[in-house]
Amino acid sequence: MAQAALTIDGLSVDFEGFKAVNGVTMTVDDGELRVLLGANGAGKTTLMDLISGKTKSTDGRVYLHDTDITNWEEHKIARAGIGRKFQIPSVFKELTVRRNLEVASCKKPGVFANLRFGFGAEAERNVDAVLELIGLIEEQDRIAAYLSHGQTQWLELGLLITQNPKIILLDEPTAGMTQAETHKTSEIVNNLKGRHTIIVVEHDMAFVREIAERITVLHLGQVLAEGNVEQIENNPKVREAYLGSKGIS
Amino acid sequence: MPVKRKIDWAIYAAFVVLMMLLPLVMDAFWLNRAAKYLVYGMLGVAVALSWGYAGILNLGQGLFFGAGAYMLAMSLKLASTTSLQQGSDKPVPDFMLWNAEPGAPTELCCINKASFLWLPFQSQWFGVAMGLILPVLLATILGTIVFRKRISGVFVSIITLALVLLVRLVVIDSQPVTNGFNGLTDLGWFNVAGLEFDPYIVPTYYLVAVSLSLVLVGARLLIDTRSGLILQAVRDDQNRARYLGFDVPAYQTFFFAVSAAIAGFAGMLYVIVSEFASPTFMDLTFSITMVVWAAVGGRASILGACIGAILINTISATVSETEGFAEAWKAIIGLIFVLVVLYLPRGLAGLAHDFIDRLLARKPAASPRALQVSETSSQLAE
Repeated sequence: MAQAALTIDGLSVDFEGFKAVNGVTMTVDDGELRVLLGANGAGKTTLMDLISGKTKSTDGRVYLHDTDITNWEEHKIARAGIGRKFQIPSVFKELTVRRNLEVASCKKPGVFANLRFGFGAEAERNVDAVLELIGLIEEQDRIAAYLSHGQTQWLELGLLITQNPKIILLDEPTAGMTQAETHKTSEIVNNLKGRHTIIVVEHDMAFVREIAERITVLHLGQVLAEGNVEQIENNPKVREAYLGSKGIS
Repeated sequence: MPVKRKIDWAIYAAFVVLMMLLPLVMDAFWLNRAAKYLVYGMLGVAVALSWGYAGILNLGQGLFFGAGAYMLAMSLKLASTTSLQQGSDKPVPDFMLWNAEPGAPTELCCINKASFLWLPFQSQWFGVAMGLILPVLLATILGTIVFRKRISGVFVSIITLALVLLVRLVVIDSQPVTNGFNGLTDLGWFNVAGLEFDPYIVPTYYLVAVSLSLVLVGARLLIDTRSGLILQAVRDDQNRARYLGFDVPAYQTFFFAVSAAIAGFAGMLYVIVSEFASPTFMDLTFSITMVVWAAVGGRASILGACIGAILINTISATVSETEGFAEAWKAIIGLIFVLVVLYLPRGLAGLAHDFIDRLLARKPAASPRALQVSETSSQLAE
């Protein structure tokens, strides 16, 4: 059996009486691609916030491999090996595409460690490879603010790939994308399979079918079901709670 | 890109050369004035670094300028023979005699309750060291508190603004040690190994010009480091940088402190060329004026902000001394600022960058020539 990359044990957060995430327990294996599904307010994004340190949990633990990273500061969790893509695409708008990726290629977090020039030939080669993967070679000298919505999303994916974390959290990576863009995004994500452990929050079922191996369904802050696409689509509890009686459209 | 960078450095080199040649065409009076404007240029660099590159709009840069100025002025006051001899045979600053505690001995240690603070300033180099240490210390403490708490944007500006006013009040209120509202005047000359920096001699101008050159190049190199790039990333999106694993407050605090050190350095040079330190350095209008210089020159350009400061001061000096404009010159400066903000949001430096871009992009035939030009100028720089 594969090793667990991320272990979540009874994780809860209490917002003054409202438990947005309530005792979630799940294990994501090394190299797995896991999709988090759930209606609005099911706690998907909050769960990502808890894993990445944006929100501090009130109960439960999070382990990255064997390291307890519960409630660490965000940048320390990131350094430990968890990268995150936000729902609203966020890149460094006034820097060029290439500069964006060069920032992500800096391996050291501190200000004094980075008081030097250049990034090294290896980092530059890596940046070239990532540009190729996200299809932005032509745009590498453009200021990020002038990219299209889809390109901005890919650039942010590129930042994560350059950072090379063990686990990648993707919050609705296809939000606001055209069909063609969505397809390209799924190609990028499929390309990452195996190299990284990936957790995706997504609503777009077409996209989910293209990439998903295992799905975890959240409902009212708790785990409702877990399984592959077929099992989830046919699970009566899921149908009732999230999909309605008509099933997945 | 490398061509553009070469052109960039060529412009820096041209500026430095121009600065060095100025004494050939200027008399002592104008040279002293020019030195003051170069000091303002250095303040422009400090503002560009914190506002343009770190995204921290500091409305209290005068605090660091003032801190640097007062630290050196204290030492130079103790080096002034005329002010020490007034009414006493003991080396005590004149204003302390006027503010002496009844019955206290006429000694620097104890003429009033806080006068002992002046004791180490009998060494000029202690004053110089403190002129850098105090601004850096203040900036580090302030930055650590503010940035760790993730305060950003306009709230940082309000805090810095309040702080500079607070310190100004304290300085004015501490009459016995600071000479209050009058500031420190009648100072001695800065002295390096017997060379006295009379504000109206050429070496003093060169002290300022060389200092500014070093600060310009140093700040520019700092921006070119990885940390400089990460700093700009932090400016654009703090959260994104944080989730890439960077210690965001450390970057902000470091560059805030560097900016403070530059302002403190400028404060010391100003004291050398103008022979006084005054609480007006910490007036709100002065700090805001610095921001205007940087905005006009281009806050995203180290050299641009520097030139902006020099240009505005030269214009305001010329205009204010032209009869007929004597009343209206402030309105003219205000008008320039409004026009720049409306039509040149990236300032004069932005205009220059666009111009260079157009030159480079115009014809393939034009680019080899541009390359040649930049190569000769970079040889010049070496």
